Amino acid sequence: MTAAILAGVLVAGGVYLVLQRGLIRMAFGVILLGHAANVVLLAAGGLYRREAALIDQIAAVQAAADPLPQAFVLTAIVITFGVTVYLVALAGSGSGDDTEETT
Amino acid sequence: MVLVTVFIGLAATTAVAPLLASRLGRAAGWPLAAAFAALTALTATQAPAVLAGQAVEFSWAWIPSIDAAFRLRLDGLGLLFTVLVLGIGALIMAYCARYFDAKSSQSRFYTLMGIFAVAMLGLVLADDLLLLFVFWELTSICSFFLIGGAGDKAVEPARRALVVTAGGGLALLAAVALLSVQTGTTQLSTILADPGWTEGWTGPLVAVLVIIAAITKSGQVPFHFWLPGAMAASTPVSAYLHAAAMVKAGIYLLMRFSPVFHDMPLWNGVLVLVGLATAIYGAALALKQTDLKSLAAMSTVSQLGYLVAIIGVGTSYALAAAAVHTLAHALFKASLFMMVGVVDNQTGTRDLHRLGGLRRLMPASAVITALAALSAAGVPPLLGFYSKEKMFAGFVDADGPVWAGPLLGLLAVVAAVLTFGYCARFWFGVFGGPLSERTDVREAPAPFLLAPAITGAAGALLGVGVVTLAPFAERITADTGFPGAGVEIHLIPGLSVDLGMSVVAIALGILLHLRREQAGALLDRVRTPFTGDGVFDRAMAGFVAAGSRAGGLTRTFSPAAHLPPAIVLLGVLSAAALWWGTPVGPLQELLVRPTDWIVVGCVAVAVLAAVVVRTRISAVVLLGVVGALMGLWFLLLGAVDVALTQLVVEVLTVVVLVLVLRRLPSRFHSTGTLRRSLAAVLAVGAGALAAGGTLLLTNRRELSEVSRWLMANSKEETGGINVVNTILVDFRALDTLGEVTVVGLAALGILALLRTTSLTGSAAIELTGGTRPEDDPVDNTIVVRTVGRIMAPAIVLLSLYMLFRGHNAHGGGFIGALVAGAGLCLAHAAAPDPRRSLVRRIPYVPVIAGGLALAVVTGLLGYLVGGGFLTPFPIELGFTYISSAVVFDVGVYLIVVGAVVAALHRLAIAELLEDDAAPPGAASRPADDTQYPMVAVGSGGRDSEEGEL
Amino acid sequence: MIATALPLVFAAPLLASAILMVVHRPIWARRAVLVGTVGAVLAYGVVLVAATNGGTVLVADIGLWPGGIAIPFVADMFSALMVTATALLTLVCVAFGIVAGEDEQHYFAPFVLALYGGVAGALLTGDLFNLFVCIEVMLLPSYVLISMFGGENRLKAGRIYITYNLLASAVFLFGVAFVYGVIGTVNFAELAGAAKESTAVAVAMGVVLVALAMKSGVVPVHGWLPRTYPETSPAIAAIFSGLHTKVGIYAIYRLYALVYDGDERFLGFAVLFMCLTMAFGAMSAVGEDTIRSVLAFNMVSGIGYILLGVALFGPLGLAAGIFYLLHHMVVKTSLFLSAGAVEVRYGTQRLDELGGLAGREPLLAFAFVGAALSLIGMPPFSGFAGKFVLLQASFAESAYFAAFIILAASLLTLLSMGRVWNSVFWGPVRREPDDTTGTAAVTGAADTDAVVAGNGEGGAVLQKRRTHAKATSPLTHVSPALAAPALVLTLVSLGIGLGAEGLLNLTQQAAAGLTDTSSYIEAVIGR
Repeated sequence: MTAAILAGVLVAGGVYLVLQRGLIRMAFGVILLGHAANVVLLAAGGLYRREAALIDQIAAVQAAADPLPQAFVLTAIVITFGVTVYLVALAGSGSGDDTEETT
Repeated sequence: MVLVTVFIGLAATTAVAPLLASRLGRAAGWPLAAAFAALTALTATQAPAVLAGQAVEFSWAWIPSIDAAFRLRLDGLGLLFTVLVLGIGALIMAYCARYFDAKSSQSRFYTLMGIFAVAMLGLVLADDLLLLFVFWELTSICSFFLIGGAGDKAVEPARRALVVTAGGGLALLAAVALLSVQTGTTQLSTILADPGWTEGWTGPLVAVLVIIAAITKSGQVPFHFWLPGAMAASTPVSAYLHAAAMVKAGIYLLMRFSPVFHDMPLWNGVLVLVGLATAIYGAALALKQTDLKSLAAMSTVSQLGYLVAIIGVGTSYALAAAAVHTLAHALFKASLFMMVGVVDNQTGTRDLHRLGGLRRLMPASAVITALAALSAAGVPPLLGFYSKEKMFAGFVDADGPVWAGPLLGLLAVVAAVLTFGYCARFWFGVFGGPLSERTDVREAPAPFLLAPAITGAAGALLGVGVVTLAPFAERITADTGFPGAGVEIHLIPGLSVDLGMSVVAIALGILLHLRREQAGALLDRVRTPFTGDGVFDRAMAGFVAAGSRAGGLTRTFSPAAHLPPAIVLLGVLSAAALWWGTPVGPLQELLVRPTDWIVVGCVAVAVLAAVVVRTRISAVVLLGVVGALMGLWFLLLGAVDVALTQLVVEVLTVVVLVLVLRRLPSRFHSTGTLRRSLAAVLAVGAGALAAGGTLLLTNRRELSEVSRWLMANSKEETGGINVVNTILVDFRALDTLGEVTVVGLAALGILALLRTTSLTGSAAIELTGGTRPEDDPVDNTIVVRTVGRIMAPAIVLLSLYMLFRGHNAHGGGFIGALVAGAGLCLAHAAAPDPRRSLVRRIPYVPVIAGGLALAVVTGLLGYLVGGGFLTPFPIELGFTYISSAVVFDVGVYLIVVGAVVAALHRLAIAELLEDDAAPPGAASRPADDTQYPMVAVGSGGRDSEEGEL
Repeated sequence: MIATALPLVFAAPLLASAILMVVHRPIWARRAVLVGTVGAVLAYGVVLVAATNGGTVLVADIGLWPGGIAIPFVADMFSALMVTATALLTLVCVAFGIVAGEDEQHYFAPFVLALYGGVAGALLTGDLFNLFVCIEVMLLPSYVLISMFGGENRLKAGRIYITYNLLASAVFLFGVAFVYGVIGTVNFAELAGAAKESTAVAVAMGVVLVALAMKSGVVPVHGWLPRTYPETSPAIAAIFSGLHTKVGIYAIYRLYALVYDGDERFLGFAVLFMCLTMAFGAMSAVGEDTIRSVLAFNMVSGIGYILLGVALFGPLGLAAGIFYLLHHMVVKTSLFLSAGAVEVRYGTQRLDELGGLAGREPLLAFAFVGAALSLIGMPPFSGFAGKFVLLQASFAESAYFAAFIILAASLLTLLSMGRVWNSVFWGPVRREPDDTTGTAAVTGAADTDAVVAGNGEGGAVLQKRRTHAKATSPLTHVSPALAAPALVLTLVSLGIGLGAEGLLNLTQQAAAGLTDTSSYIEAVIGR
């Protein structure tokens, strides 16, 4: 429930921002959408298990959070970071971040 | 074998045509004509066998999986058309040898004509529908280039011809596909022999498609307009195209399919209707033409209409008539066109107003033309008379209601009267009446007249010896669906209805010629409200406009405008999924903890604030808050590594954002209320979708099997106890390799981008502040610098620690590198002057490249040691072992550090240094350059080369 | 042995990319690494086609982890064909880039290599999340390659491309999350048939398919494509046309066959969408004013044709679609390269500024017209075979409406390509080559300098040079080397058309691998 609301809020904010004028705001939107995707990815592993997945003994398996989505999220965070940095640089080059044709 | 010899022979002739033409110029026509003639003779040797009902066949595998093959088959129908294609081809080639300018090189022309002939030959010999289609379209393509190559004015007519004929060809393709699906083969003779597929609506559909293909190709109303346009091509092309090739292809196709369709009312009705309409319309238009060539062209339209209609009648008698008339038309039409060319060449004009009375100056031409015109007009004893009479008989005897025969006969006579009229107009216009102003016109040389003389004479001879055609006609009747039906042809026709019709037609025709003035005036008053060309051009313009509008829907450079369709599409699909109903399992218990709500609430507030604020810097701050809250959320879920990564990434993102934001206006661009509301609606919808999806599709199952395995085996398999990290560097190292590649490339992308494009605006950081102490950039950052000097090395050390402990505790290459990146940011901020920043001393491109290479090479070493790509293996260090995964992680570390440095350098420093390179007197303090010479020298080259070594 | 080497198709281009990031000179060595790497992948692709002939499925578990845990790289006939085709196109485009001087841009080579690595990974991976990663590896260089040649419009195009793809990637990621959330795996083989059994999986995977459709340029989410492709540099446009949307299409084929097991519930809907795409794309192309924007819209239309194959499903439809896919890749790239050659030498691609090139550039004219005819569906080029098998499939599935749209859209394509041909290649010559652009700027400049420097009898030499230029230049302005890449692909199309059996046979095998996924599943997870 909480994850769903969180994802919903982030997506709503993200979509609103990517539909705005100006590449920087769009970049903000993309960042929020990235957050939302990460929230859903972790939720996909199941929120009812919330211990860190440091497994020294088999017993710990019982409560540990699903590690696979965590790995996905790590990868996704880094990819989003890379792309966002490029996007931001693109926003700051040329004639600026305004995305509308000659206004 | 003969078939394939003929085919290959023609192809070989075509292949040498350019060579001949470049050697001999226009005279290449002679050897080409000889080759065509020889091939005609070779084909003719098969006539006895063909007449005996033994079709000559050849087959060679082509696309066995759809049972398409290179199948050739020569039956009676094929023989008729083959002889036309090759025989008329030979004469046209001979004609070309004198038609063109003596000095011109005609290698393009001869090559295209050769290909045209090959395509036509293949078309009439093909016993495979797919093969037939190939040659069918090939003739369209050849004619396109033959027409369009004639000059700038021919470009539009060529396009019309291509669109109409090739478009019709697409209908043929559909017919072929449908037939091959229904019958499992594309072999024409098999398909025609077993008409089981005509049941249901496959039959009518195929019939319609075949008709579309045929009437577009044969220039029938309403697709007739391309044919006169094709006159733009040179006269030999027109002669060939009208007499033996291209337009005859449609006739051939109709006759070919006659066996299965001749008793289908749809087929009969459409063909007769279209054919007779075309016959009358074309003949009437021919009467109006003043250009000889246009007259001949409209005559073709009309005569083909005749043929289409008689094929549509579909009785054995009608088909025999169609066969004979095809031959007759080929002969007289070839003559007429070639004579147009002769007259044009000798007098320099084709305009009937400027011609006349040439019978004395060009007697031989007058005779040849007369032979052709009389045959066309249906005057005995020329072949055209007999063929037309047969057709009259065919129309009168048509199946169907009682009134059908007489009505069709009447219409046929009307067309014949008009035909007589324009034939008379043709001859008298050129050769009859008083001599026009030109008196210097000479008779054409004999070689030039040779070809038309042969076709003209052939029409006369075959007329006199028309009875010899009976076995051929009988054979063709058999091939078009009436085996065993006898065909009687008499030299002296008995008293019959059709003879009467001929007499009436000729008598009225003479009357029409005598009253040509009045008839012309009458015709001039009848004006069609539109022309085919006009309709085509308007339709074309309409398509262009409509296309432009369709394309205009997305013709915007605003990135945001391209996003809503995707969101709406997702919404529609999700709504559909909900409407259909999607059963899902029960939710797991213990999902929600009270602390969760705090994070959710804070995020909601921060997001809302970030959405509404107007200044960029506050949005960045709020975004940072959201990022930090996300880290907290991840921590709540037990995803410690994710949380760490999230926090550090957030710091770095904010740093980069700030570096760019200082170049941009401090407030966001404003947008209209409407746009904001639309965006809000979409946003709320998308948010609801995401929330709904998350609610319905997650948290409804036990721990996944793969994760269970990973948790149970990761220590044993990899030696690491941090499962997340072992997934990253061991189990799914490939993902990691991909993702760090992305980061490295993103950094290099910034470099590449900024090579051709400069950063916008100017950095707001003022190196030259005021005179007050707090303006001094060195002094007012003293705190940061002090902290930074101490902290930066510590942070770098920390990062290394994080890197190496990753396998067993929270950390790893990513987190380590990101921490290092944060440290470098601090170090950069701590430098009193960007020029002295630590960042400048790191050769980041080699670091990125080296990291990537290290990661890949470690993976490759897995082949040598472990047997597979990215297979981890232990590395002996003397005192201990480490997993190669750690080395891989070092590669990851290097790439990420390099990327962070690259971004910092390029966005924060490089431009400042470029400014320094500007002429003296620029804003910066010159003292710096002398004060830190080592730095400038040591890295100057790198800065201008963007960090390359 | 052949299977073990599968990951190299991903790794080798990345390694080569890393090397070319730092190795600048000599230029021939850079070119050797670039061409050599792609050439090696091409050769390996051919080996893969041979090895998968007969239905063999090759698997390499990355890191040799057990099946189901490891990320598998899987090659069956379909992916082998795609690897071969993409490598061939990349090679040809790279050759064009070298001739046109685009590879002088320092980052051209490393980015193209990384891009190709991503493409190859996406074609071979058997893991949904890894597919996401590989697509990102493909996209990031693309973001840069669009904009890095400078110019306001390229920046704008880059902005559209990046924001649009970021949204698509986010959607993709949501889809992956939902899939994992519902069923707990992202392995293709383990997902096999899941969407047919469970509507929840179908919905979750549907989100992934929408993301892929976005990346493929299906109407109504096509608008970005004709905005971006015409603005990039010529070689890049050609590379994109051959690779990018095709990766999305490949994934749609793969996922629909494996995960949905060809579920018939959604096919009618898909046919409708594809008809819309075919017709709308072809219609829009008629109204465009530059060569490349015509081509871009025709590309949208072509995507409809290709995906119609999967929408018709069944052995006939899939084989037809895959055949059309390969044909379309070759032909479209050829056309973009022809357009690029015109642009490089004449400095414009506007229809109303060009004219009369047929007489001056016979090689290029042939390359263009051949590919154009192929695109329309004219024999003897590959297009007619592609359209024929698609029509067959439509009739076999009683999709008469789709057959009608195939023909109607072909006619519209004929109109648009005829318009390009008439404006650019026939009619009056409207524009002389612009010697300040393209290769002239790169190769000609040094020459001129030398002449000017040798100032002694400079005037005379200059005069001589001018007359020399006058004597040679009007014959042809597009050097054979610049026309060759497009020509090669046009000839490939001709070969595919004449020898359709060979490719048809292979695509039938590829289709068989999609209709019967048991050997794929067996090879990856052993059940």
